[in-house]
Formats: sequence, C-alpha cells, structure tokens
Amino acid sequence: MLMKATVNGTDVTTAGIALHNLQKRYGSAMAVDDVSLSVSPGEFISLLGPSGSGKTTTLMMIAGFEMPDSGRVLLGDKDITRLPPHRRELGVIFQNYALFPHMTVAENVAYPLRMRRMAKAEIESRVHRILDQVHLGALASRYAHQMSGGQQQRVAIARALVFDPPVLLLDEPLGALDKKLREHLRNEIKTLHKEVGKTMIYVTHDQDEALAMSDRVAVMHEGRIRQVAAPKDIYRRPADLFVAGFVGEVNLIPVKLKSGIVHGPAGESLPAPKWQDADRDATLCVRPEHLRLEASAGSSGGIQGRISGMTFVGDATVLEFRSETGLQLLSKVLNVSDQSMEVGDSCVASWVANDATILTD
Amino acid sequence: MAGTMSSMAITGRAKSSRPWPTPWAWLLLPGSVFLVVLFVVPLTGLLLLAFGMPNWTLANFSRIGDSPVYLTVMRNTLEISVTVTALAFVLSYPIAYALTTGGMVLRTFLLIGVVLPYFTSTLARTFAWIVLLGRNGVVNQFLLEVGWVSQPIPLLYNRFGVILGMTHIVMPMMILPMYTVMSSIDPKLMRAAKANGASPLAAFLTIFLPLSLPGLIAGILLVFIYCLGFYITPALMGGLSDVMITMAISSQILEQLNWNFGAALSVVLLLTVLSLLWIGSRFFPIEQLLGFSDGKLGSSVTRRQMGAKMLMRVGSAANALDRWLPSMRGRGVPILASCLAVLLLLPVLIVAYLSFSASSYFVFPLPGYSLRNYEAFLFDTLWVRATFTSIRIALMAVAMATALGAMLAFGLSRGAMPGRGAMIALLLSPIIMPTVIVAVATYFLLARWGLQGTEFGLALGHAVHAIPYVVVIVVANLRDLNPSYERAARSLGAGPWATMRTIVAPLVLPALIVASFFAFLASFDDVVYVLFLGIGKITTLPMRMWEGIRQDISPTIAAVATLQMLLATIVIVVGTLLRRQKKS
Repeated sequence: MLMKATVNGTDVTTAGIALHNLQKRYGSAMAVDDVSLSVSPGEFISLLGPSGSGKTTTLMMIAGFEMPDSGRVLLGDKDITRLPPHRRELGVIFQNYALFPHMTVAENVAYPLRMRRMAKAEIESRVHRILDQVHLGALASRYAHQMSGGQQQRVAIARALVFDPPVLLLDEPLGALDKKLREHLRNEIKTLHKEVGKTMIYVTHDQDEALAMSDRVAVMHEGRIRQVAAPKDIYRRPADLFVAGFVGEVNLIPVKLKSGIVHGPAGESLPAPKWQDADRDATLCVRPEHLRLEASAGSSGGIQGRISGMTFVGDATVLEFRSETGLQLLSKVLNVSDQSMEVGDSCVASWVANDATILTD
Repeated sequence: MAGTMSSMAITGRAKSSRPWPTPWAWLLLPGSVFLVVLFVVPLTGLLLLAFGMPNWTLANFSRIGDSPVYLTVMRNTLEISVTVTALAFVLSYPIAYALTTGGMVLRTFLLIGVVLPYFTSTLARTFAWIVLLGRNGVVNQFLLEVGWVSQPIPLLYNRFGVILGMTHIVMPMMILPMYTVMSSIDPKLMRAAKANGASPLAAFLTIFLPLSLPGLIAGILLVFIYCLGFYITPALMGGLSDVMITMAISSQILEQLNWNFGAALSVVLLLTVLSLLWIGSRFFPIEQLLGFSDGKLGSSVTRRQMGAKMLMRVGSAANALDRWLPSMRGRGVPILASCLAVLLLLPVLIVAYLSFSASSYFVFPLPGYSLRNYEAFLFDTLWVRATFTSIRIALMAVAMATALGAMLAFGLSRGAMPGRGAMIALLLSPIIMPTVIVAVATYFLLARWGLQGTEFGLALGHAVHAIPYVVVIVVANLRDLNPSYERAARSLGAGPWATMRTIVAPLVLPALIVASFFAFLASFDDVVYVLFLGIGKITTLPMRMWEGIRQDISPTIAAVATLQMLLATIVIVVGTLLRRQKKS
C-alpha cells in the first residue's frame, strides 16, 4: 500500500508518548504494575506479551478507555492521564477494526471529521484524498461486511489517520486473520509507518510480528515490562528467562559459574561470554540455530551425548540431542547441503561463546 | 469479517441443497397437525363465522362501523394502547441500556427486576395494583398520612389506573427485545467512536442508538400488539368508559351470546395485528425477537437506512456542546435504571408483604404478622380444589406441549425442507396473537366436538399456547448441540437409537425440563382460556382469583398471588441452574 510521506501537503504531525509508573488493579489482581516507557516521536514500538500480560490494558490507558490507579501518561509534554478518550486526539485501530456496521466506508472515514464539526466540503475532500491513498476510492459507498479483511484494515487505517493524529495505537489488528493475510498486512503497516512517520504503539502476542515491524519491542509479563530493546537485542540478548523463552526457541542449560569458567551439568567447561560476577548457579541460553553438533569437541569445550531424533521442517532440519546426563537440546541446521548425521551417532554440542547468554535470575 | 464470509458461504450452500425434506423433517408432522387443527382451523372458522356462514353477510362489520358505541371502543383501544406503549418505551429504554452496559451487580439486579415480574402471572400483578390504588389502598393511605390530600383520590377504575397497570405489566415485554438487540452491539464500536473524537453523548446518538433501532421498533410493535389484545388488566382496572375491544368481544360471546358479531370484532382485531406484524417484519425478523434464532442474522440490510443520517447530524451537534454539558461521570443512567427497576418490583413485593398481615384489611404498615391468609387458602376446600384442577390441567398441557414442541424443535433444527420460514411463523404465532381471539376461536371448535367445559379441552388450548415457548427453548439448546458429537458416537459403533439415548437425550434433557416448567407456568397462570373454554364449569386457581378480585378483594388472594410469584421464582432459578450446569 502506498501513502504519501506528507499529509495535507504539510509536515507530518507526530509526538512522543511517555508513561510514568502506570499502575492498574482489577480487584486483587495487578493488571499493570509500575510500567514506565518512553516512546520517541515517529518511533514504532511493540508491546509484546502473552494474554493477561497487561499489554492491552496499557494501550487502553494510553487511549483513555481505562483510568490508571496511579501514574501518568504524557503526549509530548502534555499530561493526558485524566483526559476523556474523545479529547485525546489519538488514532486507534481496534482488534477486528470496529468499523461502524450501519455506515458506508466513506461515512466511517468521515466520522472523526464530523465529530470535529469540519465544513462539509473540507470533509469530502479529506475523505476522498485518504481513500485514494489507501486505494479504496472505488469502494467508498460499500459497507464493512461487503469487504475483505485487507480492505477492512485499510478503512480502519484511513479512519484513524484522516484527522491527522500524532500517534497511532494498534490493538492486535491482525489477530483474527489467517497466516498468509497477516504477513501481507504486516508489511502494509510497516510501509505505512515509513510513509506517515507517525508514532505507533502496536500491541501483539505474536513475536514474529513484533520482531519484524518494530524499532523497539517491550516484552510484558504479569503486568510488568521485562525488557525494552531493539528486536535484534531482544532475541540475542534476552534480559531474563521469560523473555528468552517467550521470544523464539531456546535451549536452557543449567550451569555453575565458578572462577570465571562456566561449568555444564557434568562439570565440563562450556563456551560462554566473559563473566565478571561472583560464583553462582545460572542458566545458559543458546538458540537452536547457534547450537552445532560435531563429531569431536573443539577447543572451547562442549557437551557429550548422542543424537536422539531428527525432524525435517522444510528449509531446515531440527536435530534432537540427548547428553550423557539426560539433558535434551535442539539444534537447527539449514538444509543447504546434505548433512551426514544419523540418529544414534555420538557427538558434542557446542556453540560460539558470544552466541550464548548467561541468565542469573 | 471472517465470520461474515463463512456465514455467507454457509447460507449459500444451504440454499442450493434445500429442496427436499430430510428424514428429520418428519418430526415436524405431529406438531404441525396439532397446531393446524387447534389454531389455524379455529381462526379460519372465526373468519367464516364473522361473515355469517352459511348465510354470507357483511352486516356484522357494517354494524361495527355504524354504531357509535363500537367506534368509541375502537378509539379507547387505540388511545390506551398508544399511551401505554409510549410510556413503556420511555421507561424501558434506560433499563435496557443499563442492562447492556452496566456492571455485573447492576445487571444482575436489573435482570431480577425485569424477569421476576415478567414470569409472575398478570393476574397477580394486576391484583397488586388494585391493592395499591384502591380507595383505601396503600397509595391513598400514604397520601392521607402525609397530608397531601384530604380525602382519598380515585386512582382505580379509571383511565389513569388502566394505563398505570398496563404499562407496568408490558414493560418487561418491551425491555427484553431491546436488550436482545442492544447486547448484540459490539462495545468496541463505542470505543472506536470515542477514539475518533465523539463525546459519550455523541457516540450514543451516532452509534448505539441507530444500531439499537431494530430492537426498539420490535419492542414497540410487540407491546402495541399486546396492548390491543390485552384483556385481564383493562377488564379489572378500567372504568365504565374505558371499554376496550377485547372486553367488547368477551361480552358479545359470553353474555350476549352473539357469536357472529363477536367473531366480527375478533376479525377486526386479528387483521389489525397481522398487518402490524407484516409492517414490522419489513424492519426486523420478528421471530428473532421472540427468542428464535437460527444464527443467521440478516439485519444488516435493514439497519442502515433507519434515521442514521439524521442522528449523525444531531450527534455532531451534541459533540460541540460536550464541554458545557453537566457530567454525571456515567452514573446518571444506572441510577435512573435502578429506580425504575425498583418500581417494577415494588407492587408484587408490597403484596407479598401484605399477605403476611394479621388484619383482614390491607393496612400499611402491617399491624402484625400472621399466616392467616395462607391458612385461609390451605383450609378452604374451594381454593384447594381449584389448585388441584389447575395442576391437573397444567400437567396435561405440559405433556402435550413438551412432546410436540420437542419434536418440532428437532425437526426445525436438523431437518431441511421447503417452507421452513412459514413453519416458524406458524409455530410462533400463538404467542403473538391476542389470547382472547385464539380462546374465542378455540371455543367455537371445541363446542362443535362437545369438548367445551372439559378439562381436556382446556388443556388442548393451553398446549397450543405453550408450544412456542417449548420450541424456542429447545431450539436454542439444540443450536449448541454440536452434530459432531453424534457423528463421533456413530463412528464409535452406536446405532441411531443408541446415539439418541446416550448422546442426544442427556444433552437435551435440561432444556426439556426448563421448557416443561415454563409450559407449566403458561398453563397454570392462564385465565383467558378458562373464561372462554371453561364455560363456567371449570374453576382453576386463576379463575378463582379472578372471581375473587371482581367480587371482594379478599386478603387470601394476596397469599395466592405471593405463592404464584414464588412459583415463578422457582422456575427462573431452576432454569438458570440447569443452564449453568450445562455450561460447566
């Protein structure tokens, strides 16, 4: 989808959002627990987490549909914590889009402008322009139920953008769609972000979506933000076990840190990044695509065991490895050439030291 | 969106493969024959009688047009019905709205406030108003006490009394269809409106109100039709100048014995109701509002045209006023709705309270508590005999209605056949048609068979009336019964009969029990059929109450009314429990 880099022929309206110590309690349950987050103007940030992690509640507090028990929401430098939703001037794209079923596409898109009591001619020209931008000009008089999922999403985007809000909030907009369409619409949203340059806050439980679209990802769990970082860092340097396990597949190896060396379950020394802290128990995280299975151990050490299973998944093969102490690990190898391992072969699991992460929680 | 597409696909497929009846459709046969013989044939007979069969004439109809008495009756009927419908609408909307949007506690309270009166017999509720509004009634006692009036003011047996009593009785009927439609509105749409800059009032006017219009129209229509054919309350609470068409019909049939003219009056009422229904069906599938849903909501086409443009303008204007409007922080509607629900509950609760009086008069507050009214009921052979008569008739009606209704429900849910829509209309019409007309028509039929004045004949009438309730409840249950359970059973080696016995019967049984309870209530509370079909030979419990209310307003009736309310409560609780059990 193509949209002009400028809206109304003027500079793009955009602003940052800052959350200060937001708290929200439902009965005895803490839905959002001390969430602070600063989003720069024009940034695309995802709130990623499983259901019940507080991501949607956080978004609804930004939109004004939920009141925080304490904490503040800032739009630019303006405190909007207590402002009712209709005076916040934020664009919201809802799950399933919430297009008004009794209005046509054009009427849906005109709605925010009518609520702002714009002149009729101005409304018409704005609606016309934005519908052309999202390639829906020909469908202006249709109703939502007569359109495909992709078209509905474009109507929702047009409706949320037509009044030129500085920030766009997206609440799992791709949640109800099938996989192919999701990937397609994901790209549309990403392109849209580049073109309109608005701050976007995107709520999702889908890690692929979050990693593919965002400038930064905030991983949430049990009402708290566990880590905020660029997608690459979230994946490669998870801050804790939850983030490591939630984003992507991961091998977790119980280890002992002793005088600068990482010891595996059988006491063997393992490759790991430099460690400064005191001696203690820890967990070593290694992604399956970083785990190599080889006939003999390299210089930096590894875990002895044998191959216990093998699954062909198309572009890659997943090898199951079982160590002598009974530890199960996965290794993912791209099928670029025939690999020669067989089930039952004895081998050593190892990895490049900097591809592993030490977690001590 | 995905839902829309798949449902379109399903409808498309269903249409192309629906020309011939499937074996399930045979289950429709017994029930349809029953309804044709006891509902369609009598109403046709009524029509013929009105035209003077076998000596064809239009004299009966021209007599209605010529006589100023009957023109007055028509005017009364219209005036009262319009006023009651309008009042009920204004008072019901806040309740339905709060019922949809309120929190858990508020919704539970409102639901009790709506459902309990709905299932308490009309007679008991009318009696409550008579006790409240009488010359020495609770209201006058209160007014005298605080000194606002110096002598009792006439509140009963006049236009005021009829309108108040009728409004109170029809309100649940207005609220339930409104609530059905309102609760199908996605709450996210209201959020979307606010996110797009609409104030709460503007969002209500531009989104919620237009989307709830079909429910409003349906509620207004059903209540208006009910008012036109309302008999009990106007007959008991109205004055001499408030004669409505149903009372004229009853007087022609029962007192003047002028059957042809009574039939002509009935036909006028019948045709009015049918044309109103036809108009209503242009806006909304009526059967859905009676609780009958196939899961195929076809309302999107009608939704869009209705007044939405005008409301858009009003809403946009309201948005400009937003900053100047006083804010109740969203508490205004819940408070108003709660007050209205209290008013809905109050009359029956006051009667229940008064039934424990130690005095033989209705004095408020009670001079002392006692069970003397209940003793008077239990130790009076006439009351006890009436109760047993009622139970006997109700059990016969329940047996017929549950068996036939369940078969009809299965046939409708599983069977495919041509003319299914017409079938649904036939099944549901006994609820919508004014009871007086159906009772009069059935009376003519039973008289031909010599069944008038017999308990079996009365049970037949009650069964016709109860079948729609059974069908609605069982169809709703069968919609949740996934056919793949049965396929699974068949694949595991169960034959058709074993599948029925081990899978379908246990899953449908709770709904059948609930359905038979409601069928029992429909028969047990009825007085109109008894008046016409009993020809003075059968005295059921409501019949004895009816006579009691007309002669002396004895406090024993308060005890009976309270027991009826208790029965309704039990039915509701059992229904709720069985439904909850199924879900868990």
